Amino acid sequence: MGLNKKVLIGTVGYQLLGNHSVGPNLLPQLQSIHWPEGVVVDEMNWGPIAVIQYLESLETPFDRVVFLVAIERAQRDIGEISLYQWMGGLPDDKQIQACVGDAATGVISVENLLVIGEHFKVWPKEVYLIDVEPGMEIAGEQFTKAVIAQVPKILELTRQVALNGIVETINVKELRGDRLFN
Amino acid sequence: MCFKNLPIDFDENGNAFLKEGLANPYEHKVVDLGIEQDKLKGLMERNGFIRSVDYDPVTRVAGALAFHSVVDLKEKKVLSTNSMATLFRGYEVILKGRDPRDAAYISSRACGVCGGVHATCSALAIEMAIGIKPPPLGIVMRNILLALEYLYDHPLHLFLLAGPDYSEEIVRETNPELIELAANTPAKNKAVHGYENVLDIMKDLNPLKGKLYLEALSMTRVAREAYVFIGGKYPHPQSVVPGGLSVNVTMSTLNEVYSRLVKFFDYSQKVTGIWDDVFDFFLESNPEYAKCGIRPANMIDTGVWDRPDAYDATFKNCNEWGNARWSTPGVLINGEVVTTNLREVNGGLEEFVEHSYYEKWDGHQFKTDPLGMPLSPNHPWNKETIPKPGKQSWRDRYSWDTCPTWDRMPMEAGAYSRIYLTAKANKAPESKFLENTGHSMKIHVPKHQLPERTLEWKIPEHWNTFERNRARAYCIPYSAMVAMDNWLLAQKLIMNGETKMSTPFEIPKKGTHIGFGAWGAGRGFLTHHLIIKEGVIDNYQIVTPSTLNAAPRTPWGVAGPYEEAVLNTPILEKYDKPEDYKGIDILRTIRSFDPCMPCTTHIMAKESDHIITREVTTCACGIE
Repeated sequence: MGLNKKVLIGTVGYQLLGNHSVGPNLLPQLQSIHWPEGVVVDEMNWGPIAVIQYLESLETPFDRVVFLVAIERAQRDIGEISLYQWMGGLPDDKQIQACVGDAATGVISVENLLVIGEHFKVWPKEVYLIDVEPGMEIAGEQFTKAVIAQVPKILELTRQVALNGIVETINVKELRGDRLFN
Repeated sequence: MCFKNLPIDFDENGNAFLKEGLANPYEHKVVDLGIEQDKLKGLMERNGFIRSVDYDPVTRVAGALAFHSVVDLKEKKVLSTNSMATLFRGYEVILKGRDPRDAAYISSRACGVCGGVHATCSALAIEMAIGIKPPPLGIVMRNILLALEYLYDHPLHLFLLAGPDYSEEIVRETNPELIELAANTPAKNKAVHGYENVLDIMKDLNPLKGKLYLEALSMTRVAREAYVFIGGKYPHPQSVVPGGLSVNVTMSTLNEVYSRLVKFFDYSQKVTGIWDDVFDFFLESNPEYAKCGIRPANMIDTGVWDRPDAYDATFKNCNEWGNARWSTPGVLINGEVVTTNLREVNGGLEEFVEHSYYEKWDGHQFKTDPLGMPLSPNHPWNKETIPKPGKQSWRDRYSWDTCPTWDRMPMEAGAYSRIYLTAKANKAPESKFLENTGHSMKIHVPKHQLPERTLEWKIPEHWNTFERNRARAYCIPYSAMVAMDNWLLAQKLIMNGETKMSTPFEIPKKGTHIGFGAWGAGRGFLTHHLIIKEGVIDNYQIVTPSTLNAAPRTPWGVAGPYEEAVLNTPILEKYDKPEDYKGIDILRTIRSFDPCMPCTTHIMAKESDHIITREVTTCACGIE
């Protein structure tokens, strides 16, 4: 059965960085889920500029975008899952230009992607970030036990947010571009 | 012959030998940088206008570069400079002990822009080490792939990274006196770009909103699309392998590539016209601008784009296949060509670590190259990478970059070295679209929407900030026309049924095999030196353009290229109080080299290659 919305589930993050690679490592599992028509699951690591150009080139834009990422944040336990909704807003032009500079020279960062996308007005109203706490950056192919234990929850939350949008059982935090670099 | 400082001579047959009678032929002086620092400290204590100005990080460059300078804001002079690479590149360590076939895929990750050239350089090193000659179509398509990579890279640099320095927004902030003048200066190349005056161009260079900025973003997509038809993906191509490319190419692939390449015909005319107008304006408005970033034209380049009838991957014939390249390898000293031979380019290379966070290695495994040219213990084939993080000090060690030299001289590298050497040497074989004159390169651009036109890049009188970027702009038509030459060759090969793309090979499990890959990155000179022992990588050394350009001082105290260029830069920015000083002249100079610090430096793999720690010592405050 088809979904009446067109949804993109994108994974963002470097590979081989242990817990920091939640997105790229869980991509095959996300792709193996039987999704309704209209849901696209893809890696979004190929550079914010290229991603934005791809989104701009679509005849029918996405109605909802869900990014799966792992960003180290203070006061979270490893494996803790947070759901953010992108509320728009932009930092100053110098910061946007810095994001473009990083993006154009190969830096992989969902924050850059969100800001550049906002600048070029490619985001639909519904943009979510499922963000898993990875802890300190440690290289490797494997997750730690704390993240392994959370994998079913991560996949389920991604599925729910992709199909239904905001999930009532989890607190949704706001993410704004004008507060991102303060 | 070509070496003046290294202890190498040549006999009457041109064979190199080590000069006799020298007790320690590769000895070099190590000077105490503390003397200079003490002088500066004294000056700063006595004069309130002399200030430390730190650019940390230097923005709008790829990766982690910090730059320390001491400037006299009254006399408007730069007194001292230090270029700092703030992260360690661990690829040499990561590659050691691995199967050589992994090298192309791993080394590609050294950069988020020029993955293709690292992969290619790696493939070339393996081809030389074990003797693999790719089939003609493999060589030709590799040339097209890498020309396309430059067509991504150059607009990106010119309009997204360096371009904003010349935009109306920045110029109004730093040199408002130029704004009115720009409004009254007619654009000479209106016929190709459509702008009435220079201020109109500057407005469209404004970051994020300017039409030229946005157009460059869209052109990077055009180049990237063409690239993935051959490379599979960008920036880390999947098809570059020793012995050619692991992809099938048909007329339909060529058509897809052509339909994108053709868009660079008009764009080439437009970009060169834009930058000629902007740079001529600056240089004519104030002749002092010619001193910004000035340094002697001491440059090195590996050459790039192999001729399928010349390239055989052997060390023995590297001078011949090197000279047959569409861009000529070589070394320029004070703007004069001292060699175009790849063997001499290779033989003169050394890397020093006296002011870098590395330990000096022992040993001198390769005393000569495979044909008998003496090699220094500091040559990349002899070098080992032994990271040694420590306190940052201008008196001692201050960078994760090493100090590469050629014949004991710091060398500059860039896309511009490619066009400069090729034009000056006038050795590149005949081309349908390119003509070298010894003082210029003529580029015959075919018609697309605009009529056909011959563009001419002329060797400038002074080598400075503006000329680096101007030459880079001409590298867009240069790269596009090399791609066209190769596109025509590819078409012919396919029509003749020569569709083989790669040569099968096996890594020998026994013995020692050495090779080096020499191929230009978007930013110029790139070498990968490889030693295979008993089937695995025993040593792997990468020298990138930014390794050369961002180098700290030589052991004997000579400034690296960024350091020297900034040291020579007059401060032309207008400011009322020292607090208002932005440093635009210095930033323009650093960015004119197109710094790519991911190439120079990377991640610090502490104790093992599994634990990655970012060892960033970026704050220059309080460093002595």
